Amino acid sequence: MNKIYYIVAEHLFCVEGSESVLELLTNYKPFKTGTGNDALFCLSVAKGEPVNYIEEMRQDEEGQDIVCGHTEQGDAVFEFRWDGRTAGWLVCSAGYRQGTLYLSGFQVKAAIDNALMIQFAMASACMRTALFHAAAVSLDGKGYMFLGKSGTGKSTHARLWIQNLHGVELMNDDNPAVSVKPDGTAVVYGTPWSGKTPCYKNISAPLGGIVLLSQAPFNKIARLNGIGAYAAIVPSISGKRWDSKLADGLHDTENTLATNIPVWHLDCLPDADAAHLCKDTIAR
Amino acid sequence: MKIKKGFVLRTVCGENVIVGEGLDAINFGRMLCLNETAAWLWKQAQESGDFTAESLSQALCGEYDVTPEQALADVNETIDNWSKLGVIE
Repeated sequence: MNKIYYIVAEHLFCVEGSESVLELLTNYKPFKTGTGNDALFCLSVAKGEPVNYIEEMRQDEEGQDIVCGHTEQGDAVFEFRWDGRTAGWLVCSAGYRQGTLYLSGFQVKAAIDNALMIQFAMASACMRTALFHAAAVSLDGKGYMFLGKSGTGKSTHARLWIQNLHGVELMNDDNPAVSVKPDGTAVVYGTPWSGKTPCYKNISAPLGGIVLLSQAPFNKIARLNGIGAYAAIVPSISGKRWDSKLADGLHDTENTLATNIPVWHLDCLPDADAAHLCKDTIAR
Repeated sequence: MKIKKGFVLRTVCGENVIVGEGLDAINFGRMLCLNETAAWLWKQAQESGDFTAESLSQALCGEYDVTPEQALADVNETIDNWSKLGVIE
């Protein structure tokens, strides 16, 4: 077994597995670091048999199922399935600090990515860090995130910024991380997880704004405040909110973001005007 | 009556909000804003576990300067609202 350490959003973690498994992790290379102490979590990747567990909840998105549950001993279990076929079982203990992924042999890489995203999101939830479902861009040294339900056009809007505005860089196309600092400011980070777009950048920027997108036959932007901002942020963060410890940690992060970071709602067409309107309003 | 499992009172940007976070409440899909009195009643209801309109209005009279009639009317209105929204049972 070999072990590799990575740092994502300033959190150290390690992955342990055979050479053939670790060779698959090319998207993690920019985040690789030397040996470290005090890792936030460790994932061990192994071959394995089905894990017995009690189901709590399942999430179904675009042919991919994630079933959450727990073993009789109380360890958290996540089963990953594509088109009804299981790729692996992630079993976590010690507050998500220790994880073992038992692979079935089907969709090996996707199962490892899922396991690491889940462990990262859960283990960092109480450390003022959140893994978002969003696209993130940077401009003039600040980061901006676009939120919205699947299919709303987060990636499209990010692309429109890149194509039509000068100096815009894509930071991440699907799963940027955000951490809240002691002074109440926030920083957005690129991660090894970026959906279908290979954008695995070890970069960060102070978070300058968050935009919730809705499709509309026109372009219009309005500021969301207080509860409206909170309601925009919460559904975009991965978490297991029925675990009250995690829910408390996430609420703390979400409430700080809603209070301190400008949050906007953009009704938009997929056109250049939408990008101009958005940028002119939020990045002045 | 009691508060349904999974509903939590949170302070969001200084306001009192009920959100669904537990397994049985995760699909609530909205947030319920409470004024100061309603938030106080929610905490009472949570502490007592099982409550009635009478037990809450008695508690309300002990905390705020209201007549028993007014307290009961306020509590009934609040409970009605919670019941319609499905956060108590």
